[in-house]
Amino acid sequence: MNILGDVAKELLAMFLADARLTLSILILVAIAAMLVDWLHVSPLLGGGLLVVGTVLILVEAVVRETNRSES
Amino acid sequence: MDTGSWAVVASAVGSAFLASLVEVVEAFTIILAVGTLRGWRPAVVGTLIALAVLGLLIVLLGPLINLVPLPVLQLVIGMLLLVFGLGWLRKAILRAAGIIPFHDEEAIFASETTRLAEVARHHTSLDWIAGLTAFKAVLLEGLEVVFIVLAVGAGRALLWPAAVGALAACAGILCVGAIIHRPLARVPENSLKFGVGVMLSAFGLFWTGEGIGVSWPGRDLALLAFIGLFLSVSLAALSLVRRKSMVAL
Repeated sequence: MNILGDVAKELLAMFLADARLTLSILILVAIAAMLVDWLHVSPLLGGGLLVVGTVLILVEAVVRETNRSES
Repeated sequence: MDTGSWAVVASAVGSAFLASLVEVVEAFTIILAVGTLRGWRPAVVGTLIALAVLGLLIVLLGPLINLVPLPVLQLVIGMLLLVFGLGWLRKAILRAAGIIPFHDEEAIFASETTRLAEVARHHTSLDWIAGLTAFKAVLLEGLEVVFIVLAVGAGRALLWPAAVGALAACAGILCVGAIIHRPLARVPENSLKFGVGVMLSAFGLFWTGEGIGVSWPGRDLALLAFIGLFLSVSLAALSLVRRKSMVAL
């Protein structure tokens, strides 16, 4: 039994079970942070983008997996 | 403490408790298989060593977290919580809609017992393998609990309340398990995962926003609004997916 390997696999699975979902969240947060920090957009607008973005990412991930399982 | 702060504390303790409940049920199934097949000594020893390793992780990581500036901590932990929480939520919705199979504790118990019995045929001394199996199960399931406790607790110095929530879940499951002495197949695991996914996603959104400098309207009460938002969106997504799969049939 390779325990360290299994621990590493478990940690990866915790955050990379759906690589596209993970990547989308990272990109969304990066865009919101850049808008607020570099372009001095109102932080509340950045927050609004986060709210809408996370909801869309969740729905897209669920619909994508459903379509994949049907095809 | 105002209402908003109570909302954060209650949500932190609640998510740590419910998430731990799910993970402890999964670990308990393996411990029970080991204990039933090989006696309780290797099961208990393996479990205790794994708990010691997890405790060491918390003792080592807890103080390190305090060294990180709060906005950076909120941003990093917020993003990790979003990834983790939305991942759980996605899986819970797909399971509830019948797209992916449910976690079956009875089946896991049966397959683990068969695996250990198979190993026993080739090894004269199985005790250390049985102990290692219990150790690995507790360590792997416990990692998620440690992450959740650290993540929901670190942003507002709530490590202790979150840890108490997790310990209460462990104690509860162990008591129930010791009494009924069989896999806890009737725990509504997917509904719990659904609820935890909603709470962790809300925490993630809340911390990430604070990390990039957003002052949420209503301050801490915004967390409750996010919980409501993720809950309604998830229920709507579930109903959409169910309709879609019925049309496909």
